[in-house]
Amino acid sequence: MKTLRSFPGNRIVWHAIIVGVVWLLLLLLNNNIDPLYSAYLALVAMYATAMFGMTILVGLSGQVSLGNGALMAVGGYVFALTSMNWQTVPFFGWEWNAVWSMVFAGLGGVLIGGIIGGLAARLKGPYLAGLTLGVAVGVPAITNRFPELLGGENGLMLTVPYPAGGYAAMDAGGEIAGEADGDVVVDPGTDEGATGEDQQYAELDLTEFDQGNDSFAEGDLLTEGDLLTEENFDAGSDQFAEDDLLTEEDFGTGTDLGIDETAADPGGDAGGDAAGFDGAGQDESELAGGGLIDAFDSEFIIERWQASMAIAVACIVAFAALNLVRGRQGRVWKAVRDDPVAAAVVGISPSGSKVSAFVVSSLFAALAGAVFAQILSFIGPGAFGLGLSLSLLVGIVLGGRASLLGAIIGALLLVWLPELVDGLSGERGWPEQITNNAPNLLYGLLVVVVVLAAPGGITGTFKSWIDKAKGRGRATLS
Amino acid sequence: MLHTEDLSVSYGAVQALKSMNLAVPRGEVTAVIGANGAGKSTLMRTLAGLVRPQTGQVLLDGVSITGKKPEDIVRMGVALVPEGRSTIPELSLEENLRLGGLWRDKAGRMESQQKVFDLFPILAERKNMRADTLSGGERQQLAIGRALMSDPRCLLLDEPSLGLAPLIVTQILELVSRLAKETNIAVLLVEQNAVTALRVATTGVVLNLGEVVKAGPAQEISSDEELRHAYLGY
Amino acid sequence: MTNFVDYLLGGFSNGAVIALMALAIVLVWRSTRMVNFAQVGQAMFTTYVALTVQQSSGSWVLALVVAMAAGLVLGIVVFFLVIRPVKNSDSTGAIIATFGVLIALQAGAGMIWGGDPQGFLTPVDNSGIEFAGRIWPISLYDILVLVVTAALVIGLTLLFTKTNLGLSMRAAAFNPEVARLSGVRVNRMLITGWAIAGATGAVGGVLIAPVSTISPNSFDILLVFAFTAAVIGGLDSLIGAVTFGIGTGLVISLVSGYSDSGNAPIVALVLLALNLLLKPDGVFGHHGARSV
Repeated sequence: MKTLRSFPGNRIVWHAIIVGVVWLLLLLLNNNIDPLYSAYLALVAMYATAMFGMTILVGLSGQVSLGNGALMAVGGYVFALTSMNWQTVPFFGWEWNAVWSMVFAGLGGVLIGGIIGGLAARLKGPYLAGLTLGVAVGVPAITNRFPELLGGENGLMLTVPYPAGGYAAMDAGGEIAGEADGDVVVDPGTDEGATGEDQQYAELDLTEFDQGNDSFAEGDLLTEGDLLTEENFDAGSDQFAEDDLLTEEDFGTGTDLGIDETAADPGGDAGGDAAGFDGAGQDESELAGGGLIDAFDSEFIIERWQASMAIAVACIVAFAALNLVRGRQGRVWKAVRDDPVAAAVVGISPSGSKVSAFVVSSLFAALAGAVFAQILSFIGPGAFGLGLSLSLLVGIVLGGRASLLGAIIGALLLVWLPELVDGLSGERGWPEQITNNAPNLLYGLLVVVVVLAAPGGITGTFKSWIDKAKGRGRATLS
Repeated sequence: MLHTEDLSVSYGAVQALKSMNLAVPRGEVTAVIGANGAGKSTLMRTLAGLVRPQTGQVLLDGVSITGKKPEDIVRMGVALVPEGRSTIPELSLEENLRLGGLWRDKAGRMESQQKVFDLFPILAERKNMRADTLSGGERQQLAIGRALMSDPRCLLLDEPSLGLAPLIVTQILELVSRLAKETNIAVLLVEQNAVTALRVATTGVVLNLGEVVKAGPAQEISSDEELRHAYLGY
Repeated sequence: MTNFVDYLLGGFSNGAVIALMALAIVLVWRSTRMVNFAQVGQAMFTTYVALTVQQSSGSWVLALVVAMAAGLVLGIVVFFLVIRPVKNSDSTGAIIATFGVLIALQAGAGMIWGGDPQGFLTPVDNSGIEFAGRIWPISLYDILVLVVTAALVIGLTLLFTKTNLGLSMRAAAFNPEVARLSGVRVNRMLITGWAIAGATGAVGGVLIAPVSTISPNSFDILLVFAFTAAVIGGLDSLIGAVTFGIGTGLVISLVSGYSDSGNAPIVALVLLALNLLLKPDGVFGHHGARSV
């Protein structure tokens, strides 16, 4: 830490190294755990992405907002709509791929976040919380307003653009060059035999996200060779992939499902796409290219793909957040939070600072929303309402309001605690009514306890312990 | 009589009052004067219970009121008129006044209110107006009136001259001085404006950096050139 | 035109409930300068208590009284456990803490009473009254709602303007230090404010439950409407809360009548945003007076 502070010029390099190493470790982890845990890993990474924004907004800038769930919905909807309707990028005519949808999801978040943020900058604490509460509660109403476009209450099933171009980098590392540009979709309804026995991988309980959980696409196992044509991709957009987790034994059947392999174009323009991924894909392929990652046999496991995609987005966002938080902008946010008048005196615009925090957190939220939509293969108002916003608030408060590490810990808690309760409930035989509500009861109580007893959350408390220990050490020395 | 014994107050590392011994006898005005930061306001807030002293005692007629809550201290007979805007603009004049003695029985309250109206007739005239329509001088009278509604044995006035025209200040302070004599209450007046304060006071106390530099008859202090130059800046 | 009048009439009883919730928010704001985002959650919880009482005793009046008592107690409990310790140290934390209470209350209610929406019987007929040859969009129950609300509002107004307790509470709200120096036990006034707010919200919950059904989350939207009304009214003003509470109810009724009830939250949101932009201190706000 000291070295980081004493060489501010090298900070960005350091951050890149830290994030790169973490990324690598996460990919290694992802490739060596049971796919069920990969599914959890994907959720943790998704929550962490959104919560980095909460660190900046709530922790650093001191604005309590419940709008970030809604901004995740913005990202999810933009991702879904662009990936379903675009073959090329409008105005530019470039060939569409999933990275473009991510970019536009982010832009959508920035746009809506900028509007809300512009309002928010004029508001003090409770007013902002109340206004954004209205936004969170209003999400279903807004989606219902445009039933044709946004699918109303039922939301949209989206065809997840499985590995293609830039995304391939996140999957198999060194094998990127072997990836084709097509989009993998499994023809639904032809694989009934495969679904049942693979429930073990697909049993991840997503009920808390949405009432329509049975319509989630939960697992698609394909080999890398099973690439589909663009036409298939389009056709798939009307339908949804159900539960296509195939075991290796099923592999043979998988290829017999009538999936068109003709479009598989090994060695296509994957390289170019990777480069287009903000350079991050490139970094990744360099890191992974050395064969450090033992790419998982030759099969495509959807949970692993989801996790590596979510991890990639989380790491890129983490890198941006690290540089912002530990750089000048982080100090500006804190200055305005602690004393807006004093900040204004030294030439910082308090409202500008608040808007920028809002926009950055909206960007992160929208990206997380796009990731979430891909994990769920679904986007709808139920999964992105007040409950999600409150979850983000809970996570950031428990983890540590003003710390990026706190955001990660909060994300872990959000995924782990319900599973813990679920496990306990299974052992003890609690009624469903108790099991379903226990996590939220715990969250609510924990939030109150943390605010009262340890406002710094988990990371803040550890930090103060460490500081105390250091202080004692120094005292005895002198 | 209100008096303090070795009263010390500090805010963190800064010691605002250092072992202060002070006596405020009944029936007269005692003026505490000193420059900004001398500890005058801290003294008042400590006496009224808003600030807790580290050491020492505050005694009212021999009974300790040290460390008690402000709402209890005022009920025991020490009423503070704080510095600046101490009326509540959202309430009517009559409500501001009534607020001063809500815990008392009705007869006692009516009697005190009559006394206040006798002392400050302008308040009786404007009884039903909102407090934010009053002039600065009227508001100060209202604030003093509210404190008198508690039927205090000791009245603490913190910088009543702040933001008021000198003529009005003199008028108000002379009324207070008369009140002290007639009703035998102890008045402690804290002022930056030493000339006016010493004119109505019987005893003067000069405060500097939290310590009593000099205490004595008001006239003696106002004629002490050296003291004036060193601590009072005129 | 008949439609317009009908929609308008139909909005009054909902408006009355929004007014009660807004009143609860304002009462808390006046006593502790904070918005209790758990307010409507507390009302939800006490409404479940009332439901249990009604189901076992069959008495609506008893259910209402028990709900008020429960609201009073819950207000005091939340104040002591959460608000008092956090209030001064950390204003962001205080807002977050009220959301923590909301989450816990909703989960707690789900644990005890389950997540499925439950009906609440009305004490009197809830179908349109037939009068002068047509059926009006107002029921006997709506009239009961309005009467109970009016009684509560008049009671609160008298309490605040005519009694010493009311004066103490107002003084404690506007200037705690001067209040303390005047002998007012400010902490007790804050607790009283929270308790009265809890009871007021509880009445609102019991009144709306038969119309909306009750589930742990069913009052979320009411929180948005009530907050909107309270903020437009100036957060400080009881009259403002009542006026704009009923106003919000009427607007929602009109919007629902002419378009779709699903649009009501959007309209509330637009109203709130416009108000915060154009008149941040609310229509009946005291800000001007305070800055003098």
